[in-house]
Amino acid sequence: MYIGIDVGGTCTDAVLLDQGLIRAMAKVPTREDLLSTLLEALDTIMQGVDGELVERVVFSTTMITNLIAEKKYDPVGLILMPGPGLNPSLYRFPTDTHIIQGAIDYRGREIIPLRLTEVDQAAADLTARGYRKVAVVGKFSSRNNRHEKEVAARVRWNYPDCHVELGHQVAGQLNFPRRVVSTYLTCATREKYQFFVHSVQEAITQRGIKGAIFILKADGGTLPLESSLDVPVETIFSGPAASTLGVLALTPPGETAVVVDIGGTTTDLALILSGQPLLASRGARVDDMLTHVRALAVKSVPVGGDSVVERVGKDIILYSERLGAPYCLGGPMPTPTDALRVLGLTRLGDVDRAREAMRMLGTPLGLSAEEVANRITTRVIETVAREIEGMFSQWEQEPAYRVWEVLQKKKVRPSTVVGVGGGAAGFVSQIAARLGCYPVIPPYAPVANAIGAAVARPTLQVTLRADTEQGIYIIQEEGYQGKITERSFNEEKALELAKQWLAKRAARHGLENCLEGLEVTRREVFNMVRDWVTVGRLIDVTVQTRRGILYHVGVGRDQ
Amino acid sequence: MKNKKTGLVFFPAFDWAISPTHPEREERLLYTRDQIFEEGVLDLPEIEEYAPRLATIHDIARVHFCVPRVQSQVTEAHLIAAGSATLLADAIVYGELKNGFALVRPPGHHAMRVVHGNRGFCNINNEAILVEYLRRHHGIKRIAIVDSDVHHGDGTQDIFYHDPDVLFISFHQDGRTIYPGTGFPSELGGPGAYARTINIPLPPGLGDETFHYVVDNLILPILKDFEPEFIVNSAGQDNHFTDPLGSMRFTARGYAEFTRKLNPHLAVLEGGYAIETALPYVNLAILLALAGHDYSYVREPEWPGSMPENPEQVSRMQRLVEQLRSIWENRNRVDLDKIFGTGPFFQRRKHIYYDTDYIEEEQLERVRRCPSCPGYITIDSRADHGYGHPIRVFCVSIPFSACGACQTEAYDAYDQAKGLTQYQFVYLQDKSTDTCLAFDRDKGQEWVSEGPKVGE
Repeated sequence: MYIGIDVGGTCTDAVLLDQGLIRAMAKVPTREDLLSTLLEALDTIMQGVDGELVERVVFSTTMITNLIAEKKYDPVGLILMPGPGLNPSLYRFPTDTHIIQGAIDYRGREIIPLRLTEVDQAAADLTARGYRKVAVVGKFSSRNNRHEKEVAARVRWNYPDCHVELGHQVAGQLNFPRRVVSTYLTCATREKYQFFVHSVQEAITQRGIKGAIFILKADGGTLPLESSLDVPVETIFSGPAASTLGVLALTPPGETAVVVDIGGTTTDLALILSGQPLLASRGARVDDMLTHVRALAVKSVPVGGDSVVERVGKDIILYSERLGAPYCLGGPMPTPTDALRVLGLTRLGDVDRAREAMRMLGTPLGLSAEEVANRITTRVIETVAREIEGMFSQWEQEPAYRVWEVLQKKKVRPSTVVGVGGGAAGFVSQIAARLGCYPVIPPYAPVANAIGAAVARPTLQVTLRADTEQGIYIIQEEGYQGKITERSFNEEKALELAKQWLAKRAARHGLENCLEGLEVTRREVFNMVRDWVTVGRLIDVTVQTRRGILYHVGVGRDQ
Repeated sequence: MKNKKTGLVFFPAFDWAISPTHPEREERLLYTRDQIFEEGVLDLPEIEEYAPRLATIHDIARVHFCVPRVQSQVTEAHLIAAGSATLLADAIVYGELKNGFALVRPPGHHAMRVVHGNRGFCNINNEAILVEYLRRHHGIKRIAIVDSDVHHGDGTQDIFYHDPDVLFISFHQDGRTIYPGTGFPSELGGPGAYARTINIPLPPGLGDETFHYVVDNLILPILKDFEPEFIVNSAGQDNHFTDPLGSMRFTARGYAEFTRKLNPHLAVLEGGYAIETALPYVNLAILLALAGHDYSYVREPEWPGSMPENPEQVSRMQRLVEQLRSIWENRNRVDLDKIFGTGPFFQRRKHIYYDTDYIEEEQLERVRRCPSCPGYITIDSRADHGYGHPIRVFCVSIPFSACGACQTEAYDAYDQAKGLTQYQFVYLQDKSTDTCLAFDRDKGQEWVSEGPKVGE
């Protein structure tokens, strides 16, 4: 049996899946005390079920998201080695930042050496200011981590109590400022996250569950809870990933669909392209800082069932804020939910109050309640539909760096609009009609997020870069730098090596069984030619375990 | 201009090369990509990256006579490079962007009006395609192109040699010491466009300081006088002190400073083959300069510190600047008949060598000296590929602002050439109506291509 739990801002949803069928579900309010919330959710779905039968529990949590939003994390000082390039003052990081000498180039060669006295000075200054956590990040450190390691060793030697986080270990992708932010946030949240992980483990043990525990990441993959300790920031924004995977599990395979999650104040949109959730091309924005965290391409539109509607002159205007419940549920202002009630598209609330809300807006314009309701729903539908179209065209507008990529770009439009969330029922069929799609509101839509968590696959990735001229290779995710000894090292061998590393990684995380059906997501080979002679090759290979979901719900397990 | 962004199309064509070990190969912009990505410049709010777009075949035919047809001279990579420039220009004209950088391959500034093959790594001229596109689609007439490649922009010069509304300024290493061996101060444009072509050959070894003397005392004043509506920079980067093909000593910072002063609407990458030591830094610096950011922290690892100039070279450059300035200032007072002779046509013979494809071309170019328009152009071209029979074609080009008489005469010339058996292909491009015709003698067939109407 599988358990999925999505801890949202207001509600915590949980499901218990048995042989691909939903056996129990729960919706409990999220309280300040996370542990008791989790226990309540667990107890609700596990009534009469022996904990030993649970093979797998997956959490999706807003814990780190909230921590960062509320700035409740630990202070972290920065020691950076940006080298030549942008004026470092353009990088505005929200903490004390020391810039020291030292630079590595794009091929990992040292171009400016470190100066240890500067390292000592920076560390002395930061510790004197009370910092006990320091993030050390260099430009191109993922191509050569030597400087970062030397600085870290020096700081740790002088200040053994200081926790030092290294950029290349947190984020290996190119983009120095994002690496700084990711490293900073990782450093800042690591301890608090450890505490959270331990209390989750505690709760699970208390309930006699012996299965594996996973945490959902923003990219829709899962990691064993224990392994996630090193990457707390990757657990942010896993909520939208959970609902998208849930939709994937609740709809037929291979569809191109838009997931429309209409909540009280916002509508979250996500895309599924031929059965695969679309990943954002760049890392997530966290508390207005750009990170390297891989996330699904999700768009949040500030319109929801509780959005305030007002008449301004001859216009009826939809605002992004919420001033309470809809009028028909006793709230102070007319809302889209009232419009739906008048049109008979929802059963929420009191129909007379809903009519009254519409008349408040319509009477001065000489419009009937139905006419006003129509106007409001049209406006909501139009706003959401435009955002959906914008997402697709933005996806089409992704830069392409190869001729074949430019030529194979084509216009893709969804065939279905899948509604989840409270406000979905009233709007989804009309949004679908506007986009020329089929509307789908899957069964169990209200707990799609928890279902998505329950069936999300574990994901592991290995990115290998080999530079045969220099005779070195790097495993980005491991921060490992090795030597190439074979003279005939080539693309195939690089791929083999990457797969070996992936297997090693999998073994360390206890995920040996997910190595089937590996995907090669990047394969780039460049001949290096100097003076008309090929002197070596740059090979970039990324392999990852299969993404997506373990099985479709309601259909049963796919073996 | 405030608050507007700088647009970037980065198209490194990672799957396109002239040949595996050619300088124009997949690897060329690889390290530039690494540097630009690692710096995080694409996250800056002042810079926006655009996806590339393909130019149309008609966009090419509006500029070039490709023999036998456009499709036989261009690959998709060429269409993407040219299309990226027009895409950014659209956004600039519509006011979405303040300026742009088409950081694209393959380059184009050696491609002339008639294209028999690849020369100087170029098949089609991205800047020229952009200019005619701007005129056709946006009604922009006066355009300046400043070519900062170490090699003379002979293709661009050839295409606009008789065009009074396009100012072409090229500074480059002295043609006596480098490909293509042209670009001397005496090349000043045809009779209808005198001093609209300005060539500034630079002695090998010249550095930033004297380069900027030329910029401040010659290029910027001429531009100011010309009052262009749109400025294009053919942004070659092989004047860099580490370039393997050139012998100049410019730095990334020197290039960036030039970009800031020139303040072009659009920079289009041309040459530059120091792919590790120059391109990552020069491209970054140019992008920062366009976006109005500080580029003073961009420094190449091999930068040797200050590079003193040769005083003899400096004074030679000062004299050249004086000389060209006086030519510019007196451009409307010169006796054109004295320079170009009299008669209804001005003609010149050209011998063109295609270094990449080993083609020898002989051209007779005639331009109608018309008092009311720039005059139509005819070109009788014969190309020897080194095998088989040489191919001979006749081309007629009607300028954008042609008068009715020139247009009629030009169509007559086209019809007449169609009846002559020596021409395998006869072409006509009528820029005034955006119509292109091509006639194949052996098939007895004619193709017509009409561009979209303005606003489409």
